[in-house]
Amino acid sequence: MRKSWKIERRTFLKGAGAMVPLPFLNLMEARATKPIIGSNDDTPPVRFVTLFKPNGVHPPSWNINGGTENDFRMSPLMKPFAKHKDDLLILDNMGDFGFSSHSNSTRRFLSGHHGNRKTASVDQIIADKIGQDTAHRSLELTTEGLFVNQIGCSYISYDKKGNSIPRESDPQLVFDRLFRNPTQDPNRREEFTSLLDRIRDDAKSLKKKAGKEDSETLDEYFTVLRETEKRLERINVGSGSRVNFSKLKRPDTPVTLDDQVEAMLDVMAMALWTDSTRCISYMLGNSNSRLIFDFLGINKQHHYLSHFFRNFSRSNIDSLLKISLWHMEKFDSLLTRLKSYKDGRGSLLDNSVVLFGSGMGHSDNHTAQRIPIVLAGKGGGMLKTGRYLRYSKNQELGRLHMALMQKFGIDQKSYANSSTPLPGLDGSPFDEFQERPFESWVNKAPGTITAQGRLRMSDNLDEAKVFYIDIEGKPSVRIEISFGDFHSFNVAYHVGTPIKLSGNSSEKNGQLVINKITGITSLFGNSKPGKANG
Amino acid sequence: MATLQKKGFLIPRLLAAFFIFVIYPHQLKAKIQFEKNILPILERSCLKCHGGKKVNGEVDFSKIKNQNDADAQYELWEAVVEVINAGEMPPEESPQLKEKEKAMLLNWHQDQLNSPVESIPGTFKPRRLSGPEYRNTLRSLFGFDLKVAVAKAQQTVAGEESLVLKLLPKDPPGASGFINDTHTASLSPIILEQYAFLTDAAIEKLFAPKQRSQLQYLMGENLPNEWRPEKISQNEARSLIKNFIPKALRRHISESKINISLNPLNKLTGFELLNALKFEMKAIMLSPEFLYRGLLMEKFPGEQKPVDAFELAERVSYFLWEDRPDNELMNLASNGSLLEPEILTAQVERMLKEPQAMNLAESFGVQWFGIANLDELIKNPISHHSLRNQPVLFLNHLFTKDRPVIDLIDSKTTFVNEGVSGFYGQDRGRMKRHSKPKGIERTTTPFQEFTLEKATWRGGIITMPGILTMNRGPIQRGTWLLRQILGVRLGEPPADVPPIKPSPRGKNLSFRERFERHRSDASCARCHEKIDPLGFALDHYDTKGQFIQNKGKLPDASGKLPTGETFKDYSELKEILLSSQKEKIVRNSVERTLSYAMCRKLTRNDQPTVNRITKIIVKENGTWKDLFVEIVNSLPFRETIFKEEIQG
Repeated sequence: MRKSWKIERRTFLKGAGAMVPLPFLNLMEARATKPIIGSNDDTPPVRFVTLFKPNGVHPPSWNINGGTENDFRMSPLMKPFAKHKDDLLILDNMGDFGFSSHSNSTRRFLSGHHGNRKTASVDQIIADKIGQDTAHRSLELTTEGLFVNQIGCSYISYDKKGNSIPRESDPQLVFDRLFRNPTQDPNRREEFTSLLDRIRDDAKSLKKKAGKEDSETLDEYFTVLRETEKRLERINVGSGSRVNFSKLKRPDTPVTLDDQVEAMLDVMAMALWTDSTRCISYMLGNSNSRLIFDFLGINKQHHYLSHFFRNFSRSNIDSLLKISLWHMEKFDSLLTRLKSYKDGRGSLLDNSVVLFGSGMGHSDNHTAQRIPIVLAGKGGGMLKTGRYLRYSKNQELGRLHMALMQKFGIDQKSYANSSTPLPGLDGSPFDEFQERPFESWVNKAPGTITAQGRLRMSDNLDEAKVFYIDIEGKPSVRIEISFGDFHSFNVAYHVGTPIKLSGNSSEKNGQLVINKITGITSLFGNSKPGKANG
Repeated sequence: MATLQKKGFLIPRLLAAFFIFVIYPHQLKAKIQFEKNILPILERSCLKCHGGKKVNGEVDFSKIKNQNDADAQYELWEAVVEVINAGEMPPEESPQLKEKEKAMLLNWHQDQLNSPVESIPGTFKPRRLSGPEYRNTLRSLFGFDLKVAVAKAQQTVAGEESLVLKLLPKDPPGASGFINDTHTASLSPIILEQYAFLTDAAIEKLFAPKQRSQLQYLMGENLPNEWRPEKISQNEARSLIKNFIPKALRRHISESKINISLNPLNKLTGFELLNALKFEMKAIMLSPEFLYRGLLMEKFPGEQKPVDAFELAERVSYFLWEDRPDNELMNLASNGSLLEPEILTAQVERMLKEPQAMNLAESFGVQWFGIANLDELIKNPISHHSLRNQPVLFLNHLFTKDRPVIDLIDSKTTFVNEGVSGFYGQDRGRMKRHSKPKGIERTTTPFQEFTLEKATWRGGIITMPGILTMNRGPIQRGTWLLRQILGVRLGEPPADVPPIKPSPRGKNLSFRERFERHRSDASCARCHEKIDPLGFALDHYDTKGQFIQNKGKLPDASGKLPTGETFKDYSELKEILLSSQKEKIVRNSVERTLSYAMCRKLTRNDQPTVNRITKIIVKENGTWKDLFVEIVNSLPFRETIFKEEIQG
């Protein structure tokens, strides 16, 4: 599957090099002579792209454990885009307390907080600022149909009133609108005009023979032809653009989901490169995506698999990870494309900010903490990439959005629940997560145990719903609990942090096992991380 | 003109007849003249608000000066009689008509109705293809669909999947109530641009490698494997044009007209030839002859004539298939044999067996019964799939399997899937179960044809769960039954209806009892005495359409029709529908079908056709196929009138 798109992409890029008309070939040199619509100086415009990943993650596969700002190792799920490490800014400890629903996680992702339902999402606020000079202010794209039962699952972009903005899923349709539209492309306009001329000539001979009723119909038809021609003339006069889109390759009709997404990523890169738009949001699926990845050999729904605790089996978790890896590959694909286009003195990626992530963390219990968020691209110098920022405390996404708005020159006193921008994106100081010393121990009583230590999820995929508390110098205490306990104590929230946990226990072959939790306390964090209403 | 209250064709006639017999029988014989007897009444009592300084309710009597003008507006007079009978007009505060004047008007109207009507076909008018017609025409012309790429998932609504329907503005229903009646949906620059966009998309796709077999078919040539569009030869390009034009324009096209498209290709090769070829094909697809129906029909100004064979092929094909004629119809049109009634009848039989005949139920059926109302109402895509498709499959069964017209009201056959199986009581046990694959949370399930044994209270379209859900409450249900099944025209309810009052203190009145108090006002009762018995009869089905099995809690579903017939619940009402109301139901079915087939509102001159076909269907318990055959062989379908004027 991947192989086939690579060939296509190469063909396209070759095409782009050989066939694309001059202004694009010499973008760097030509910039001084205003090659791009609406750009008045020789600084390339900065673009803003968001890519949404549905259904959260399997945290142990996603999270980076340990490491520091400049010295860290990327997690297994990050492997597909690890080659872009220098262009990434990986954020950790993003989110808010409590649980996320699928339908409100989309507001969290781009509107700062799940409760922020009355304002525009950050991409739209940025589009208002940077999208005025381009043919298309912004593009809102997706892969999947509408989930009407919980409509919030299907949208990440919202307008000024907080209403969802319709999205487009067809790469050919988007391509045609951008590049095959007579109002955008002078060549197209010319062809359309001569087509109209031709049709009128033919229809005139028809009119000579026409009776009254025919004649009325034909008059209506001629009026419309004339109006359309006038409109085209007006565009011809008004347009200063010399851009020729006719050599851009139209994507083929997609067969699989992978084709569809690759084609859309292609169109997105072209749209940004030709400066047809500067702001795009793209959903790889609804936030509760029911897609079936049959082209990966998986016949169960993504949403079903994402609840990997409740629907646990080794093959299910394997399938889930395959799907997540595919999402990560698409992120890679986007970054690779953006890098392959020259833009100003660097690549298109250098002049872009790409926000990739989800609206929830753990995909089964929907914890809203440690949400996967990665920024990519230097944004023309606004971001200092190649770093891993793990904040000391949970940071609401609204702060990140405020910081991005500030970078794009938007002055906003507050956004969603946040009133200060998130520090650190440009290399400025931030409150980094510090490991604090703590003791670990275990107390046994008949039938019960209290253990203190760092909680972790099993990294053995055969037991992906098992947790451990690590005790220094002793075997770890194993936690094998029901979904009810897992959820009501929000165990996922505490993963990676030191806790004190009590529960009913048993002992198997010398291994201490907690089967039922009676209490959980965070040593340094919040012991009651929200209500289980997700 | 439409805001006067209108009713059905029969009821005012009966009412009027009753009125006349009882009160002024002697006047029946008098010949009333419009200019002498009627015009003065209108001038005295009506013109002040309807055609003088004011034109209330778009009713303008000042334009009606003689009997001819009056004859042309027979629907207006139906409405006039209606409001006069009901005492609504003139309004209370204005001087009232004298009894004698009233009788004069009613008798004159009666004369008008009784005067024999000539069967005259409609005047020819070109008509733009509707959105679905355009989509289907492109599909059958090119052999592929233009679809929107969207990843499909269970419980998810892909939105409009057809690129055509997605891009074209939605057609509004015309005067007939059907969207194929595009006479008033004019072309606009936006629509033209969308046509241009879709034309580009279709031509691009035709030359894509995946469509090679389709291209070969349209060209009538075999292409070698290594063939590329830019390698196209003069011969190949010319064959394509020659084959494409008559198929696209749906009739034989003269050589000289085809040459107009061939000449620009002369001497071109490679990309230039390819581009010129595409340009010519686009010019055809954006031409009015392609976008409109009837422009190329043979014309006989000022005459009433049978339509030519190609026009007949188009008429029957867009009627039964919502699509262009296929090769067989085109061949029969070419040699003229399609004009023979037996051959046309045989074609109807063949066409009903083809998959495109599903469009009759999908388009005609869905629009007639307002089934698309479920789209907004039922948000859950799985329930929506079940509730919406059940009646469509049922209608498709009636239309294409030669079932009696009256089976609409009662049938042992139905179509069920898991989404509606819970509505079928004990019969559910006999249904094939569908097992859900593991890892799929919720899913739509396939339909099965099913014979009712116990749940006979579900037979027919009226008690299908989707229909009952769509019409919540007795008033909506009664209105739907009256309008869509019995074909009674009701006006819109007045805007100032007060809310229904709660039970008075100390009394526990049912909705029905409270509603009866509410509508005791005469002007409400006029419609509600017809609506309510029908609606309340369905009260044994709850708002979701579930049949209430608990006999202890049954609401009162009994009633009395304006005809005096009584029933204890819907099962008895159904017997009445199948007997004394049968003629009315058949008549409505004939009118709707003819109107859809003609893509226009019926006129008084269509009544002889409607009467004749209704009589046949009622007498012989005719089937839908019989009805379709009668229609395609009827005068309005076979003939047309061409207007006189010619412009140079």
